[in-house]
Amino acid sequence: MGTSRFPPSIWGGDRKRSAEPLSQLLLRLMSLRGRGLWFRRPERIPDAWAGSGSPTSPSPRAVELLFAAMQRHLGSYPLSPGVRVKLVSAGFQTAEELLELKPSELSREVGISKEEALETLQIIKRECPVDLSRFASVSISGKKYTALELLEQEHTQGFIITFCSALDNIMGGGIPLTKTTEICGAPGVGKTQLCMQLAVDVQIPECFGGVAGEAIFLDTEGSFMVDRVADLATACVQHLHLIAGSHLEEEHQKALENFSLESILSHIYYFRCHNYTELLAQVHLLPDFLLEHSKVQLIIVDGIAFPFRHDFDDLSLRTRLLNGLAQQLISMANNHKLAVIWTNQMTTKIDKNQSMLVPALGESWGHAATIRLILHWDQKQSRLATLHKSPSQKEATVLFDITAQGFRDVVVPSPLSPPVEPSGNPRKRSRDGREEE
Amino acid sequence: MDWDQLELNPKVIAAIKKAKLKSIKEVLHFSGPDLQRLTKLSSIDVQHLLKTVSLALRNNCVLTGAIYICTEDVFPDKRLQQLIALQHQLRTDVPQDVIKKIKFGNSIFIEHAADIDALFECVTKRAPILLSRGMVRLIIIDSIAALFRCEFGIQHSITKAKYLQTLGAKLHQLSSGFQSPVLCINQVTDTVDERGLAGTNLDVLARVSPALGITWSNQLLMRLMVSRLARELSRDTHAAATGTVVRTLSVIFAPHLPQSCCHYTVSAEGVKGAE
Repeated sequence: MGTSRFPPSIWGGDRKRSAEPLSQLLLRLMSLRGRGLWFRRPERIPDAWAGSGSPTSPSPRAVELLFAAMQRHLGSYPLSPGVRVKLVSAGFQTAEELLELKPSELSREVGISKEEALETLQIIKRECPVDLSRFASVSISGKKYTALELLEQEHTQGFIITFCSALDNIMGGGIPLTKTTEICGAPGVGKTQLCMQLAVDVQIPECFGGVAGEAIFLDTEGSFMVDRVADLATACVQHLHLIAGSHLEEEHQKALENFSLESILSHIYYFRCHNYTELLAQVHLLPDFLLEHSKVQLIIVDGIAFPFRHDFDDLSLRTRLLNGLAQQLISMANNHKLAVIWTNQMTTKIDKNQSMLVPALGESWGHAATIRLILHWDQKQSRLATLHKSPSQKEATVLFDITAQGFRDVVVPSPLSPPVEPSGNPRKRSRDGREEE
Repeated sequence: MDWDQLELNPKVIAAIKKAKLKSIKEVLHFSGPDLQRLTKLSSIDVQHLLKTVSLALRNNCVLTGAIYICTEDVFPDKRLQQLIALQHQLRTDVPQDVIKKIKFGNSIFIEHAADIDALFECVTKRAPILLSRGMVRLIIIDSIAALFRCEFGIQHSITKAKYLQTLGAKLHQLSSGFQSPVLCINQVTDTVDERGLAGTNLDVLARVSPALGITWSNQLLMRLMVSRLARELSRDTHAAATGTVVRTLSVIFAPHLPQSCCHYTVSAEGVKGAE
């Protein structure tokens, strides 16, 4: 956001602000979040702060306090005006930035004497509720990973199955956690059906190949039909009972005790957003919701395009708001290790006197999602799903069907060659039951 | 109407009786200032009266109606009167005296919108008044396509899309705000090749596709298509014998319904299902 000042009123000054339109206020709030400052997790926290958490997984309150301390603006410290002006013009705004430096480095950087630099650092440390010198050398901004650690993480990361094995195969196992997926398609092709199916599938117990999580559903178009979700949930429960019946281990039967229609429906948290302001506000409040509901593994936004495609004369504002929204969702996906899915509309694009259907919200929006699925029909009125963009899988198209039980494979009428060879995914064994369908 | 059953100030009830207002419907037909003049009550009292009466109406649910916005021809009033007169023949499952008591005509509000501005004004200003008073729970627009197809040429397709999206958003708002369904009638257009069907699941053999393109389709929750069957294809032998046209109603898309269809006929007393 350029060199705009960090508004100290957020942290407790009393700077009066004139009324500003809600959209501008949201933009400002989102720029704070979007800078990633809120979601950074510290490496080590002093035990006195740990509270109910442990040193490696601090309690939420400890995290909050630490961040508040680190992000406090320099203007709120009792520094001499001359030093303060020099610090600001050198580009320092928060306590965190100062504490990374030694006094000699600070004096050189800012252009003040060594004594003044030392005094400044002492004032800041004194005002801090904790001894920050312990990790002044460790940057709070982001845990350091090696690529090997990331590879290990990816192998164990979960997928949310869709119950269409062809689609799960081309996606490498299903909808991946920690990533954002976009589902585009014309009206009626099955986007909302897939979303409702995934809201049920995310809750499948781990011994059946699921992630045993909960789901948040943000509905902007009013297309969430509870009766239909109840049908999908019932079909899923029946299906799992069939599989459990063919397995001798007790753990399957036990896991199904808590997997019923009531429990499935009660773990889908539904929010209805009537316009873009409500949607932005709701996404803004989600991190707090996620702190209280830590089992959520899936966030669905059904109809991310609809509220943004009317009411906008200023398209650059729309782009900024959409980018901020995408940033927040990506952060939540990363930090809470959950999958984020949103559905997009299609629009007509005229290109060299030829019209074709492309995803809505413009070219730049195409970069927001990590994975893009496009659902469409072919000439024979069958439904197709194309994996259009994925960092790890190649582009492919498969057939799918929507039955009374939900999102499924297309049933091949005559027995053909054996089904597609499974990849090295250890969760595949639970799919055997499904091939019987 | 027994005014004493409503939670109203006795002074207000006395004023209503003096103004000879006999039913909730009559009260709601007047605007706030008109009621003030009639009953000689203060504006606060009139507000309270309107609120109480609307609440009673909504809980009662009997006296609700529909708003019908015509954009094409004049509303076919004669046909409506015919339907009302023969309603008891169509609904043989309801006791006749119940049907005869309902004054259908009083609950159907007909608006004419000759151009887009009139349509927007109706949807943004007039319909919410009726909806907020509980006088209507159904909005019908007949038809959406007429205004948009004639007022916008090819070069104005962006403006047309903007208007369609704004209208769609406004209708969504009304529908979810007042928990009332919105029924829009659309026209069809001939499709010569597959390009016109891009993004739909309709066959080229169907030869027709909905008008207004994907912009309008994106605003909808569900879409139904009605068409006529050729007489030879009709399986209803009775209908074929008497020459009644059998029509088909099919679900094109809906989030909670499979793609299915059913048949019906249109007779003097109305729409009846057929095998």
